[in-house]
Amino acid sequence: MRIVIAEDDPLLREGLALLLRAEGLDVVATTDSPEPFLEAVEKHQPDVAIVDVRMPPTHTDEGIVAAVEARRRRPGLAVLVLSAYVEQAFATDLLAGGAAKLGYLLKERVGRVEEFLVALHRVADGGTAIDPEVVGLLLARQRPESSLARLSPRERDVLALMAEGLGNTAIAEKLVVTEGAVHKHIRSIFAKLDLPPDDRADRRVTAVLRYLEAAR
Amino acid sequence: MDRARAAVDALERLVGGLGTAVLALGTLVWVLGVAAASLVGVGLPFVHSAARAVRASAGRERARLSRWGPEIIEPEPLLPGLRAVRDPAVWRELAWVAVHGTWGMVLGILGVTLPLYAVQDTTFPLWYRVVPPGEGPGIVFWQVYGLSGALLVALYGLFWLAVCLLAHPALARAQAWPGRRLLAPPAGTDLSLRVAQLTATRAAALDAHAAELRRIERSLHDGAQNRLVAVTVLLGAARRQLARDPAGAGELLERAQSAAEQALAELRGVVKTILPPVLDGRGLDGALKALTADCAVPCKLEVDLPHRCAASVEATAYFVVAEALTNITKHSRATSAKVTVTLGTRHTGAVSEAGPHRGGTNTQGDDDRGRRDKAKADDSSEARRNEADARGGGGARRNEAGVGGGGGGVRRDEAGVGGGGSGARRGDSAANSGGGPPGRGAGANGVASDGSGSLLIVVEDDGQGGADESHGSGITGIRRRVEAYDGSLSLTSPAGGPTTMRVELPCGS
Repeated sequence: MRIVIAEDDPLLREGLALLLRAEGLDVVATTDSPEPFLEAVEKHQPDVAIVDVRMPPTHTDEGIVAAVEARRRRPGLAVLVLSAYVEQAFATDLLAGGAAKLGYLLKERVGRVEEFLVALHRVADGGTAIDPEVVGLLLARQRPESSLARLSPRERDVLALMAEGLGNTAIAEKLVVTEGAVHKHIRSIFAKLDLPPDDRADRRVTAVLRYLEAAR
Repeated sequence: MDRARAAVDALERLVGGLGTAVLALGTLVWVLGVAAASLVGVGLPFVHSAARAVRASAGRERARLSRWGPEIIEPEPLLPGLRAVRDPAVWRELAWVAVHGTWGMVLGILGVTLPLYAVQDTTFPLWYRVVPPGEGPGIVFWQVYGLSGALLVALYGLFWLAVCLLAHPALARAQAWPGRRLLAPPAGTDLSLRVAQLTATRAAALDAHAAELRRIERSLHDGAQNRLVAVTVLLGAARRQLARDPAGAGELLERAQSAAEQALAELRGVVKTILPPVLDGRGLDGALKALTADCAVPCKLEVDLPHRCAASVEATAYFVVAEALTNITKHSRATSAKVTVTLGTRHTGAVSEAGPHRGGTNTQGDDDRGRRDKAKADDSSEARRNEADARGGGGARRNEAGVGGGGGGVRRDEAGVGGGGSGARRGDSAANSGGGPPGRGAGANGVASDGSGSLLIVVEDDGQGGADESHGSGITGIRRRVEAYDGSLSLTSPAGGPTTMRVELPCGS
């Protein structure tokens, strides 16, 4: 897996590169600001870009802007955004272009290396990885009139885990239920959100998007 | 009993009124002197200071009267230069100075001496033996002898005491009357301008607060938080490494530890800039002593602070001195430095006597005027001034900047443009992001400096000079900090030295 890193803090940038290289991943470039990052993406054609939200010059949302731009220039680029804190506006900006191949994680999740690597691979393989913290924030802001209000609490739990990017097996493990029960919940979610049963993978992504958008 | 209390209250007011009357008389003499000198032309440069003296003593009276009656609102700030005399409020104040300095003085003296005589007469029977007969107090022109006469005098004293009880409240009211009539804004005065100014000040205070919070947030995020994230990343990597190569894990742990130590150091740094703990314990004086004692360049310290300032002001002052001394140690090659911290008053202050005080304020005024002209020439735009400095950087690199405000008397008239104007300017400077907020400085200063003091910090060194803000030294940080508190900074640092940095902070006390 070819990776480009954009992170302005040198210690963190090198620590991240070190960690990924130790895992046998191919970090092809590390950059510290949006412009070099976009150039590196053009030049190295990476599979995944890991981007910090706050970067020079204004240290606000340069990383989000750069990530959106990188995906515009190179559709299909998987982007994992790292942020020091959860900001719902950033999440919705990112997700505007679809949730596939997208991750938004708190920086400290990197320290849980196994989980971080799983999330990284999931994003590279076309999935999503949304930080539980982000999901929690979205859940808290959910408006009662949205279609999500029709979901039972259990179904909402399942949908939240889907939004984090977990597969059925992982969801079953987390909720300590059987995979069959998870299947049942998901079918019910699809029904309540009026998603017709055509392409299953798409429905999953749509449900998650619906879920995330409902909280805007 | 109530009557006695009212009389004592009235006495207190009469004494206070006597104080402002003395002030008013002094001011009157000064004004007459200036007026006479102006007739032959030489007094004109002093007209503004005379107007300021009038305003200052009137301000005292307003404050005094506001304490025991309806509040008397300050008028518009003085116009600069000779234009000050165009303000009708100044003429009303002048009329008050004339009346209070004479009539108010007479009433005050009467109010103070009457009770003294009453007490002296009433107690006469107790001590009439001590004085030679015929030399003690008498009744009008009739000298008394012996005990019976003394008792008569005591009766007479009681009469005066009764007069005091009855008349004093009226006397105090009579003394205050000219002030209440002449110093209050005329009925129907448009106070909207005043309200606009106060609104601007308040907005500036809130801005300063937000700027400070932003600074703290930024330094926490960029420093400690990032370090701690790095710690978790390195620890995570170390745990993975442990299984494969324990020796390599040791190296990662080492790096994680040093990152954690950096995080702690940066947290300490941030906490120090919020409110240095040493300030709490030892006050600004003690904190600065510790600071100068630790400085690598021998540093003299002179602190003259009669009372403590607001905590935020002290913290800013501490930060300014700390940064300045760091700069001196790092860049100046100085062999000695000097830090002077004094409490200055911008507006009230010595009024009647044309002593060194007045000279001092005058230079200040000229200085401000100079700055204002400079600022005007540069369109008060910090960005443009910096450009100009950068362009002219070849010659003597004299960098003088003081746009952030500080110009007590002069800037205030610009604040008078009203809420809309200063608001817009504040918006501009905010958009400049980090540029000096001239508009805000002006708007706030105009009112903030009214009768309030300011903390003046001067840091000098005998180093090589050439300190330049555009070269990314700590001066930009100092300026931001100072401007957040609506102060001003000026730096004089010609190539070859010496370097002088002057910082003025309104201290709101």
